[in-house]
Amino acid sequence: MNRITTLGLFGKFATALIGVVVIQGILSFKFKVFGYFDLPLICCIYYGFTLSNPMASIVIGSALGLMQDSLSGAILGANGLTKTLIGFFAASAGHKFAVDQTITRVFAIFLFSLGDDILVTILALMVGPGSNPTYSGAMGTWLLSATFNTLFGLVLFGYHDRWRDATT
Amino acid sequence: MSRIVVASKKPVRIALTVALVIHIALISLQGHHRIDTGFIRVWALDSLAPLEKLADRSLFGVRQAWDRYIVLIGVHEENLQLKRENDDLRMQLIQQQEAIAEAERIRALAGFQPLGIGKPLMARVIARDPAHNQTITIDKGRVHGLKPDTAVITPAGVVGRVIQSSNFFSIVQLIIDSQSAVGVMLQSTRRQGIVRGNGGPELDLDYIDDDNDLKPGDMFLTSGGDRIYPKGTPVGVITSVGARRGLLKAVQVRPTADLGRLEEVLCVVERHEKVDVVDPTQGQPVP
Repeated sequence: MNRITTLGLFGKFATALIGVVVIQGILSFKFKVFGYFDLPLICCIYYGFTLSNPMASIVIGSALGLMQDSLSGAILGANGLTKTLIGFFAASAGHKFAVDQTITRVFAIFLFSLGDDILVTILALMVGPGSNPTYSGAMGTWLLSATFNTLFGLVLFGYHDRWRDATT
Repeated sequence: MSRIVVASKKPVRIALTVALVIHIALISLQGHHRIDTGFIRVWALDSLAPLEKLADRSLFGVRQAWDRYIVLIGVHEENLQLKRENDDLRMQLIQQQEAIAEAERIRALAGFQPLGIGKPLMARVIARDPAHNQTITIDKGRVHGLKPDTAVITPAGVVGRVIQSSNFFSIVQLIIDSQSAVGVMLQSTRRQGIVRGNGGPELDLDYIDDDNDLKPGDMFLTSGGDRIYPKGTPVGVITSVGARRGLLKAVQVRPTADLGRLEEVLCVVERHEKVDVVDPTQGQPVP
C-alpha cells in the first residue's frame, strides 16, 4: 500500500484545483463551447461524491469558488458561497443516496448546476445596481450549461468507475 | 479512492458555518463598499494569470507552427492581393493623416483643447472568465500604465473597460456584461444616449434623447460622455427596433467588435482628457 503524506495529498489537491480554474479560463477563451461548462463545479461535485467527506468538500468548494471569483468580474464570494454549499450537499448526498447510479448522477449534477447559476445571479443582482437588467435568454443558457455539465460529469464519473474497478 | 467517513457532524457544521460567514461577509463588504477587496483579486491575478499566460503561449506556439509551416497552399496569390490592398490603404492613411493634421490646426486656431485620445497599447487576451461572466484577462497591468476604467478597444469597436489591474495582468469587463454601460451617440443624427449590456450577446438601448428616427443598421459611436471611452469609437449597430417599452422603444444593438473572438486588444493609456467647465457667472471655461 502506498504511503501518501498529508503534505503530498494537499499539494496534489491544490495543483488539481488551480489547474481546473486555469483550464476553464483558457478553454472558454479558445473554444466558445467551453463557456457553457463549469469545470470547477463539476470538480466540486466529483470530489463531494467520491470522497464523501463533507469537511474536505467544503474546503474544496470554497477554494474553487474564490479562485473563480478572483479571476473574473464576479462578486468576490458569490461562487465561493454556492460552491461551498454544493460541495457540502454533494458530500452529504454521497452518504445518503446511491450516487453510483447514473440516474442519480444525472439529476444531481443537473440540479446542482442549475442551482449554482441561479444563486450566483441572485447574489449578483442583490449586490449590483438596482436597475440591473437580466438577459432574457439567461434561463436557456443555464439549462444548456446544466446539460453540458451533466454530460461532462457523467463522462468523468465513468472514468472514475473504470479506474476504481481496475484498482480493486 | 478510499472513502473517509467523518464520525462527528459538529466539526463539519462549524466548518460550513465559518465558510458561509466568510463568503457572506465578503459579498456584504462589496455591496456596501466598506472595504476594498481588490487586493485579493490582485493577489490571485498575479499568482494564477502567469499559468494562464504560459498555457496560452504554448497553444499559440502550436497554432503558429501549424499556420507558418503546414497551411501554406495558395499563400502566394493571397500575398499579392494583400500587397495591393496594403498599397491602397497606405494611400488612404496618408490622406487621413493630412485630414487629421488639418483638423488639429483648425482646432488649435479655434482655441480648443486637444482631443486627448491617448496612447494605444496592444495587449494579448490570455483567458476568458472562468465564472460565466463577461470578462477577459489580458497580459498588461499596472506597470504598463493600465488602471481601473482604462478603455479597451479594437479597430472594429469598443471592447470594454479594465475593472481590476494587478502588476502584469488586468481583468476587462466586456460591454455586454450586465453591469456595463457606454455613453453613445447615433452616427447619423448625433443624438446622445446610453447602451447597456444584459449578459447576452447584444446590448440594450437604455436611454436616448429621441427614439423616433431609430432604424436597424444605424451605427452608435462613443459619445465620450462617460469619460472612459475615446469619443467617436464604434460601439454597435442597431439590429432591431421593437415596440415601445415604458418611455423608450426596445432597441437591440449588436457590438461591432467580435467579442467572442478577441485575441489582441488595444488599451487606451495616458489619456488626459481635459473637460472644461463653464462658470455661468463669467461665461468662460474654468480648467
